[in-house]
Amino acid sequence: MSARAAEETDAVDPQPTLDAASPRASTRRYSYYVEPQTAGDRPRRFLQVMAAVLRHSAYGYWLDLYSRVSAKCSRCADVCPVYDVTHDPRDVPCYRSELILKVYRRYFTFAGMARARLGKPWELTDAHLDEMAESVYRCTACRRCTTECPLGIDHGLLTHLMRHILTEIGLAPKALVVAVREQLEGRTRNTSAIPVAAMRDTCEFLEEELVDQLGYDGVRFPVDVEGAEYAFFPAVSDFLLEADTLMGNAAVFHATGCSWTIGSGNFDGINYGLFINDRYLRRIIRQLVAEVRRLGARKIMIGECGHASRSAKDFVPVFGGPDPPEVVNCMEWTHRMLDQGRLVLNPDVITDVVTFHDPCNIARKGWIVDQPREIIRSFCRNFVEMTPSGSENYCCGGGGGTVSIDEIRAFRTGVGGKRKADQIRATGARYVIAPCANCKKQLRELVEDHGLGEVDVVGLHDLILKAIEIPGARPAAERAAAGLQAG
Amino acid sequence: MEDWLAFARGPFFRFTFAVMVLGLLRQLVITWWGILRAHSLTADRNVSWWRAFRRTLGWLVPLRHLKQRRLYSVTSVLFHVGVIVTPVLFLGHVQLVKASTGLSWWTLPASWADILSLVTLAAVFALLVGRLGSRPARAISRPQDYALPFLLAVPFLSGYLAAHPHLNPLPYNPTLLVHMLSAGVCFLVAPFSKLSHMALVPLTQLPSELAWRFPPDYPELVVTDIGREGQPI
Repeated sequence: MSARAAEETDAVDPQPTLDAASPRASTRRYSYYVEPQTAGDRPRRFLQVMAAVLRHSAYGYWLDLYSRVSAKCSRCADVCPVYDVTHDPRDVPCYRSELILKVYRRYFTFAGMARARLGKPWELTDAHLDEMAESVYRCTACRRCTTECPLGIDHGLLTHLMRHILTEIGLAPKALVVAVREQLEGRTRNTSAIPVAAMRDTCEFLEEELVDQLGYDGVRFPVDVEGAEYAFFPAVSDFLLEADTLMGNAAVFHATGCSWTIGSGNFDGINYGLFINDRYLRRIIRQLVAEVRRLGARKIMIGECGHASRSAKDFVPVFGGPDPPEVVNCMEWTHRMLDQGRLVLNPDVITDVVTFHDPCNIARKGWIVDQPREIIRSFCRNFVEMTPSGSENYCCGGGGGTVSIDEIRAFRTGVGGKRKADQIRATGARYVIAPCANCKKQLRELVEDHGLGEVDVVGLHDLILKAIEIPGARPAAERAAAGLQAG
Repeated sequence: MEDWLAFARGPFFRFTFAVMVLGLLRQLVITWWGILRAHSLTADRNVSWWRAFRRTLGWLVPLRHLKQRRLYSVTSVLFHVGVIVTPVLFLGHVQLVKASTGLSWWTLPASWADILSLVTLAAVFALLVGRLGSRPARAISRPQDYALPFLLAVPFLSGYLAAHPHLNPLPYNPTLLVHMLSAGVCFLVAPFSKLSHMALVPLTQLPSELAWRFPPDYPELVVTDIGREGQPI
């Protein structure tokens, strides 16, 4: 789909879709739905929140520095997958950052205030806030631009700040707010609203499924085991959508003797706070750490999910209180076990062409780039890299929480994910391994919308499950042959 | 004219140079203070200073970054080398410094200085043309982004002409005066424009290492400040 077509589909519909008095009310003021706005002076409230943010954080120093050094060279535009497709000036990362730098200079610097007294000053308007609200969710927060800025301007950070302040004045995509509300204040305490009983049922079902597949009864999904080394937090949607990933995780944990447990108090690694608001980010982190403490676990194991991994890895030490638990991604564990020879994978089972998509949140800073590749190379014969990849990867197009905003699908797949779709097509891969719940959803939609044909978007542990050798279980080759016959 | 030259060489130079140095120093102190403050506020002190240093070095010697937009990048590097090296290592400048302070250092052979001046001038206009020709660059450019190339070109052009009287259609003294005054204006403008990156560049990669390590209670303090604490989402 062309950029123009995508834009037309996403055109702003000013009409409220539901009666504002209804509890399910939304308005489509932007390309995404928002909840009904509190009446009142939005610019004033924005400035009030921004002033408080500057007072209690170090943001002011960064805004000051970025205002001074920004050279407006537009190198960021060269590497932005969104700008690359739209060629719309408002999608230049530096242009977006200027939306907040301008507010900072006008209202929070001496020069800005002095200038305002001398002449006809620029004032923060509703229109500016509307532009900002639209702009920050056209960005997938992939932070490719940050690595290409000669002056180190962290455009991702500034987008994060704008989203934070906008959320505080009630301006955030409804889909993300609703998910956070359920996770922090709802009955189920998770973003997919899965009751504990349903989670337990799923675990039992997955155990039975593993017996069928492996011909072996031994792989367990331990729930509420006190004193386990790792408390396991997958993206909770995996319980609904990614059975193979979870079974792969459990099989690896079993085969390698990992001491792990799922907590019934909180089993969701998702943290949409990272995308919209630091207050939510902090509360979700604290909820996560509280569950680890309740279980008496020592470490946090995050499942195949990019933003869940980064938010735990980066923000458990920041918001998690004293003596924060260590955070590990399940691929790090699998990689270590493979390295130590404690995990055996059959190299003859996966013969199709396989490619790997790096989730931005774990790859951009080089945290998890080599580990999955070493795992894949150990058992997949036909591994093809996308170009570019690793810490220079292209975003799937659904980053920064946008994948959960269904109403912007045309934009996500037509614009944000266009480059990724081209990359996948170029590899000719049968399997696209995407170790991230969000990337998987987005990539499947990409495959559909771009007609990529026979491409399976899978997790890394989905394929590991096919190739794993467990003593006492049916050999992987036999399982594969049986699978082919059945298929 | 002699009086004007003496003024430009003396008080004007001292004043403008002092404004630049003190202005940039002030910014360095503020930024460094911010970095230390962010570090003291956060609970996560495990900062990778080394990674920030490596990234800074990666931009100061930008070999790895030349592949992106090759022509622009190479031009930009030439410009920066010329704009720093030519004035600092030009024999005439070093002699002036030596006469007043006794300090001196290695200087460029005259022919090199000539070539570098011309390269700088060419690069400055190439960058300007590049800016005008690039849609995203035009979209984000401010007045200073167009004005600074012209401003920077003046001392280089006048300096080159002053050093080559036979090429210069103008008399020597006014050329020299323009050279010194325009250089002074560049100094004056530096702390108040994007030129301040000349001093701040060593610190620019540190914020993204530190900035995500927020103070542990800051989001709650923000809502307390605006009187919205404890409200449901």
